[in-house]
Amino acid sequence: MPNNAWTQFRFLTTHAFRVEFRQKHGIAGLFLFALASVYACYQVAGGRASAEIWNALAWVVLMFSAFNAVAKPWAEDSPELRSYLKTTLRPGIWILARMAYYVLIMSLLALLVFFAFALFLGTEHLGGSRSWSFLLGLEFTAVAFASLLTLLSAISSRAGAGFSLTAVLGLPLIIPIILISTRYGSEILSGVIFGDTAHHLLFLAGLTGGIATLGYILFPYLWRD
Amino acid sequence: MKNTFWKALGVLLLLYVFSMTLLVPLGPGLLEFQDKGKVQHSDIVGRSLPVYEVIGFGTHWDENSDSLGIFVKSKGQLAALEIFEITDETHALVGLDLPYSIPSKSWNVLVNHPIDGTLLLENALFLSDRFVDASIELPTPAVQEFGSNLPFHFPYQPQIVETIRNLMLHVPLWFTMFLLMGIGFVASIGQLSNNRNMEADMRAFASVRVGMWFGVLGLATGSFWARFTWGAWWVDDPQLNGALVTVLVYAGYLVLRNAVDDERLRARLAAVYNLFAFVILVILLMVLPRFSESLHPGKGGNPGFNSYDLDDALRMVFYPAVIGWMLLGTWMYLLTLRMTRINRKLDLLP
Repeated sequence: MPNNAWTQFRFLTTHAFRVEFRQKHGIAGLFLFALASVYACYQVAGGRASAEIWNALAWVVLMFSAFNAVAKPWAEDSPELRSYLKTTLRPGIWILARMAYYVLIMSLLALLVFFAFALFLGTEHLGGSRSWSFLLGLEFTAVAFASLLTLLSAISSRAGAGFSLTAVLGLPLIIPIILISTRYGSEILSGVIFGDTAHHLLFLAGLTGGIATLGYILFPYLWRD
Repeated sequence: MKNTFWKALGVLLLLYVFSMTLLVPLGPGLLEFQDKGKVQHSDIVGRSLPVYEVIGFGTHWDENSDSLGIFVKSKGQLAALEIFEITDETHALVGLDLPYSIPSKSWNVLVNHPIDGTLLLENALFLSDRFVDASIELPTPAVQEFGSNLPFHFPYQPQIVETIRNLMLHVPLWFTMFLLMGIGFVASIGQLSNNRNMEADMRAFASVRVGMWFGVLGLATGSFWARFTWGAWWVDDPQLNGALVTVLVYAGYLVLRNAVDDERLRARLAAVYNLFAFVILVILLMVLPRFSESLHPGKGGNPGFNSYDLDDALRMVFYPAVIGWMLLGTWMYLLTLRMTRINRKLDLLP
């Protein structure tokens, strides 16, 4: 393993994707889950949704997709592999690479959720540049979810407690992100121009940066024995 | 002696705070200025005047009622109201004598009395059917000003009224929670820097456990306050959401501790999560609400209290309350810490 931080980061990220695509059922399951949730929302909303319901359902589907995405167990979380990896790479780089991997997966999921919503639940609330603003909000939120849940799933897998602990630790921390996002989304859908509501995205970006920094600082302590 | 002194001080301060909170009366104020929808003939001006009812709170209008003066004020201009009848110490019927052309439609009501001093009800009167002429000058009535002549009392605030006493519970409870979570934060840093010793971990655990009680009580007192001032047990507000999320995040800390069996691993994971939780607490309770609009006082770009919120009488009880609750919280923390140490020793016994 090379010692250079950037090379390590790139290698770990591409490695994660390589493993993922070698056994495609994991990632296919994620997308299927998101798609099926959107279709369930379409049935629940009875075909057409008002702007408020459209907004609320989109964020809830994204949130559950995010929880579903981080539920996957990692081979690197096993004690044997961890004690080997500890000798070869920096744990801070490892958590950043894992975050980057989930950020990419979640961005794709957000795209899918957006287009599936447009397909099933109608586009009448998304005239003109509104759709791009809404998609941008979904992407920012997806990135914030990914960075937060990566850190929490690392903690809970180290605790050996599995996915249920991720959900218990994650749900309260997700609430502030969801609050900011839904406010942004409902403002976009009700016709507020992007410049007047873009500060919500800044908050999300700041939150993501803070979580990533905390993860980078704290993760080495999780890896020690 | 040194160890018991501050505990006794804390208990004494809280006894003082509770007795003051419950016994000090609330100062007088004005509740309402109502249009009675009828007219009454006035012998002084020789015309019929529309009748309004002034409703006070804790006032003494039936004593020295000759000196009672009721005025309306707008744009620095005063007009005296004719007092028809003083029903009891908090109700009076008055007649409004204003010309058709007035300087402004919106008026404040002032009541002047030798015992209560000057009381103000802002924007109590709105005259929609009159002509506004900013240049008009009303004749200035003779005003006899009185300072208030009351025993020690808490200030009357509209909407809040008697619930101002909750200030001595709600705010110090949150302050104590911050203090305890701060102790936990420092202890968690200590635990991460030296994980061989379990002492810092026990400190963090004890402080979060006690801090949770203060957080839950802070939420409960806040909920009661919201019910009486805003009309609902819970409102969608950045400060309230932040408080609830913070308490849930710390509940997650206790769940995480229960999920891990190995003592050292538990200490390390809990410390990492606790640092995370404290950063979230600071962001949610101290940073974010200041950037967003909120019903909660002290927010919206105005950190903490200002001179309108806290007068001298409140300060005399509020500051001892903060110190007293913090001392009690520290005492509870030390007891819990001792219990945690004993439990650990018992677990370690063969």
